[in-house]
Amino acid sequence: MSTKIAAMILAGGKGTRLQALTRKVAKPAVSYGGKYRIIDFPLSNCANSGIYAVGVLTQYESSELNTYVGNGEKWGFNGVRSMVSVLTPKQTEEGSNWYAGTADAISQNLDWLDRIDPTYVLILSGDHIYSCTYNEMLERHVRSGADCTIAVYPVPWSEAPRFGILITDKEGTIVDFQEKPKNPKSNLASMGIYIFTYKTLRSALLADMKDPKSEHDFGKNIIPKMMEEKKKLMAYTYHGYWKDVGTVASLHQANMDLLLDSPGGTNLYTVQGTNRIYSEDTYSAPQYIGRKAKVKDSLVNQGAYILGSLDHCVVSGSVLVEEGASAVNCVIMSGATLKKGAKAYDAIIAPEVTVAENETINGAREGIVLYAGGKGK
Amino acid sequence: MLRDVIGLIDCHNCPELGPLTANRPLASTSFLGRFAFIDFCLSNFTNSEIGNIGILVKDHQRSILKHLGNNTAWLRNTKTGLEQILYNERGILNPPYNHDINNLKENDWILYSSNASILVFVDPHIVTNIDLRPIIEEHVARRETMTMVYSQVEDSDTTFLNENTVELDEDNYVIHTEKNDGSRKKRNISLSMWIINRTGLAEIIQRHGTVNPLYGLKQMIPYLLKVSPFKIHAVKHEGYVRCFDSLENYVKYSFELLEPKVYAQLFRPDWPIYTLTHDTPPALYGKDAEVTDSFVANGCLVQGKVKHSILSREVKIGPGTVVEDSIIFSDCALGSEVSIKNALIDKYCVITQRQKVVGTPGETTYLKQGAIK
Repeated sequence: MSTKIAAMILAGGKGTRLQALTRKVAKPAVSYGGKYRIIDFPLSNCANSGIYAVGVLTQYESSELNTYVGNGEKWGFNGVRSMVSVLTPKQTEEGSNWYAGTADAISQNLDWLDRIDPTYVLILSGDHIYSCTYNEMLERHVRSGADCTIAVYPVPWSEAPRFGILITDKEGTIVDFQEKPKNPKSNLASMGIYIFTYKTLRSALLADMKDPKSEHDFGKNIIPKMMEEKKKLMAYTYHGYWKDVGTVASLHQANMDLLLDSPGGTNLYTVQGTNRIYSEDTYSAPQYIGRKAKVKDSLVNQGAYILGSLDHCVVSGSVLVEEGASAVNCVIMSGATLKKGAKAYDAIIAPEVTVAENETINGAREGIVLYAGGKGK
Repeated sequence: MLRDVIGLIDCHNCPELGPLTANRPLASTSFLGRFAFIDFCLSNFTNSEIGNIGILVKDHQRSILKHLGNNTAWLRNTKTGLEQILYNERGILNPPYNHDINNLKENDWILYSSNASILVFVDPHIVTNIDLRPIIEEHVARRETMTMVYSQVEDSDTTFLNENTVELDEDNYVIHTEKNDGSRKKRNISLSMWIINRTGLAEIIQRHGTVNPLYGLKQMIPYLLKVSPFKIHAVKHEGYVRCFDSLENYVKYSFELLEPKVYAQLFRPDWPIYTLTHDTPPALYGKDAEVTDSFVANGCLVQGKVKHSILSREVKIGPGTVVEDSIIFSDCALGSEVSIKNALIDKYCVITQRQKVVGTPGETTYLKQGAIK
């Protein structure tokens, strides 16, 4: 039986710029927003969109991520005729190959897609933070009869040179593209979210596999080639909150965006409506705020034990902030401890690390720092 | 997993907690903002590797079904394990006969369909964290028919009333048990936690017919002890144990857990308490929020002051609002400049701007589910 749409989530990236946070964990598995991991967002979006077949393509430091995704139960994919498959590089009759690029990762799993036999394939990135459903985008794709629809996001013109920019006509048909242009002709940045009609995608990928010059990348090879071949490519403009967190500073900012009075007004929690973001249940004890504690302008998960003070912080479960310890403008990840008198400013405190008694992190307040510890718990 | 054991959660002997249990059983009543009482029994079974679980429901089955969801949240393995509601329809129509023995007779399939030779009974209103494995091991090694778990209670004049007292001989066998009448401060009291061999239970059920059809297990056991050479070995349990037997004690024991020492006794890293997930985001505090000495559940949005209080899931506290010495159940919304003191506010209440809900330290004001003020 044919499935209407299958989603493929690209989750193999290394995320080098997140430094120690991705030393042993793939970027999609990095903690975010006090209780989530980044990949909760695309997976919850798929669940909320009524997509029942999802492939998660993993490669770099994949064991924790693979375990986390599991059978997809956390996002409800353990239901009848629903599935999440973790697709890692494998040995085949032809030999063994790592995923050489975003397109290659899909090419190597065409047999998986063939078994599902979808009419459309949604390609997503495992490390983007946004809450939406893909239904409207799919509807547009079907109605326009496009071969491929690319989600675009209007960025400030000044930032356009950092992105892959798409140029469209009035109907939204993509007429040109520029990769990180000095003089952008549009401010519509590609979000790396694609809906392909599967037949077209399949033949494009088969051709790409035979091309020795290709880097097997959607943005660099597949899309330009399809434009060359005069395929119909449409843009779909997305207007909600969307963040691609690449650096420690941008991950910090994305966390702070969740606070109540964040200037962007991008609070996912008050706008998510019925589309919840699902995540792991950690069976934590209740969140306790102590007698001398001060907590304001913060987001604090269950299981946190706060005896000190928090101002403008995002705090995960199993975090202990001892009496007299304080954190300002910090992201404190799961299991971290701030000992008595410890002070942290403008920082991300990595999971399971301890800030020692009376130690100060980033006292000079020079940018956003990542504290990954050293001293054991 | 202990495949030789069936764990039974007995809701038949739960006391009422005043208006809190008017429309729900104690077992599924909210506790500490994110648990139901039954979670502690289920977690004791799960952490003790007991995966065959029956819940003897007395009434308000709806509320228990809602909390248990798909019946797998507390199982380590969803194929080898079983979580089953045991419900006695006839008992509902005939309340005096609605006790645990009749419920077990009605649902005897759980015994027929299993080879388990040991049954473990626990009561949801007695909250504790206990590893049942060593007690079961000892029960088997000593070839006992029945083992009872008891605790030494220091304030048995105000709590554990109506529970059974325990008098022991020098070999730790029960020689006398009677209802705690509150006449003494310090007593050994049964936690209504029984490990019974299948054959022992069969004997109790068989003799029940000739004794008194109105008797439940809690009445049958003292009776049998009195009239026959019925041996019950007793095991003492140390650690956190509280009997939630009145609204006053519910409030008292809830606030008592705000004390870090007490909290650490009940919530141990090696003994997680499992509950249903609601996929709510972490609690969000506004710029003017001031929160001290409180439990705050996920999904809360706090913009006012909260002191010595317990907020359940998805409670909204508006700016300028002050909540003190109060317990607020899930999905309540408090507008701006509201005052709440010494109050227990049930689910789905809405308190509009500048309204007051104020009780006294001795008497907590209760606002019923869905009230609008």
